[in-house]
Amino acid sequence: MTASPERSAAGPARPVRLNPLTLLAAAGSTAVITTAAGSWPLSLTVIGASLGLSAAGGTARRVLAAAAAILVPLGLSLLMLHGLFFPEGTTVLAAWGPARVTVEGLGFAGQRILQLGAVVLALLVFSFNVSLPDLVAALSARGVQGRFAFVLASTLTLLPAISARERRIRQAQESRGLVVTRNLLSRLAAFRLQAVPLVLSLVEDAGTRSAALEARGLSNTGPRTSYREVPDSRLQRTARAVLVLAAAAALVLRLVQAGASA
Amino acid sequence: MSSPSLTLPSQERPAARRRRLLEILGALAIAATYVYLVLNQPADITGGPGSASALIALSGFLAGAVLLIAAVLPTLPASTLVLIPVALVLNIVLGQFVGSTLVPFYLDAIGTVLIAVLAGPAAGAATGALSSIVWSFFNPTVLPFAAGAALIGCLAGLAARYGLFRRFYLAPVAGFVTGIIAGVVSAPVAAFVFGGTSGVATGAIVSAFRAMGDTLLAAITKQALISDPMDKAIVFTIVAILVYALPRRARQQFPFLRRHRVLAGKAPAGTTEAPAQGAARDH
Repeated sequence: MTASPERSAAGPARPVRLNPLTLLAAAGSTAVITTAAGSWPLSLTVIGASLGLSAAGGTARRVLAAAAAILVPLGLSLLMLHGLFFPEGTTVLAAWGPARVTVEGLGFAGQRILQLGAVVLALLVFSFNVSLPDLVAALSARGVQGRFAFVLASTLTLLPAISARERRIRQAQESRGLVVTRNLLSRLAAFRLQAVPLVLSLVEDAGTRSAALEARGLSNTGPRTSYREVPDSRLQRTARAVLVLAAAAALVLRLVQAGASA
Repeated sequence: MSSPSLTLPSQERPAARRRRLLEILGALAIAATYVYLVLNQPADITGGPGSASALIALSGFLAGAVLLIAAVLPTLPASTLVLIPVALVLNIVLGQFVGSTLVPFYLDAIGTVLIAVLAGPAAGAATGALSSIVWSFFNPTVLPFAAGAALIGCLAGLAARYGLFRRFYLAPVAGFVTGIIAGVVSAPVAAFVFGGTSGVATGAIVSAFRAMGDTLLAAITKQALISDPMDKAIVFTIVAILVYALPRRARQQFPFLRRHRVLAGKAPAGTTEAPAQGAARDH
């Protein structure tokens, strides 16, 4: 919970700054095509490429930590579920009572894990490498509501701040004599003692912020001027179009195939 | 809505109609995707990954969620808008913590339900969908659940609107019912996109049903019917505690609370209705 993509904005400047929408298109179409293709060699290739890219971008450790936090419980759950219980499986490797380890079940779990791993890594490499201010500026320039950009940017910057405040509140309560024991009731009481002040102060802050934003014309309609230049080029625009088309083509192809086989 | 202009001619009418259309389209996309997935019970569910149904579930639910956001977000007043990031952080911080532990719950909707109770069903739905989209920056696996999260926000808002938060014992009941609906809608996503659940504890429950010979969708739906109602009952109770603990000054920022008398207690100044029943819980 400590890793946050927002920190990548403060990282060392890369020599070539790509438009964040190009990165988004690349990550999104990779995810769609991998899901549509559903072949394990492609999934493995995508996993390898994502790891390579994140290593090149210097974010490998954080990407790996975030991916492991997602994929390890998911993988364990899938292995347990399909590895032990797969009624459709026929080739039984071992059986204990109702639990049967089947080749089909293990294969299914393995393929799903690889495929989800590829999608998760591709998207995480994007979110840990993109420069958030650039993304917000690019979204606003494309006519995406300033409000959506506000929610996105505000959430990603609030996360570390709120975690820090939560720690302060816990310290304050502990200095007032809060002792958390293993008892469930005591834990619930501790949760309440920390959650209530946290939420109260957050709502209070939000009220102040809303007045400030309103005074600066948040709800006004009309064009806005952005002082942030987001790099873009004809090559990148073409690449984006090609990537989106490729993803759409993969989607349609897969659906047509499914329709033909059904 | 938040600052009506007194001098310029209003452009509200066509814009409002367009938003209403987007809202309906979004709801239709979500409903149609669910009906298709359940009616067709795609045979390729265990026939290997890359199944077409995963793609249909993903694109249908996501498109619906995005349409809902586009319809609702421009209409929210600033006081609600600034609360959305706070709600998202609460969802993420609490959900991330519980998601990987050995409890078959998620508790990842506290922020969404809080907004829904303070600002109404539309705001709740937008918060739920936005929460999934923003959270996917850290955890792409929550992205497909955007439609389910929107539904939870919408139902929580409706529960608040019709006074289920006025009595303390009704809040968990409303949460229980919301959980049943949300669980049934989210189960196809877990089944078709992930082929299982993302937590070890929920996975164990699904395994038990699979051991009895259920299909994957049936097993995951049953697991959702065990986990979700309890989970949402807990979440609604926590939110009720939090909302009643808010000082009156903070509550007064939210016209929804006043207009529909969401909370028990004295009727706010300006309304002529009789005071709400029983114990005033104001602090």
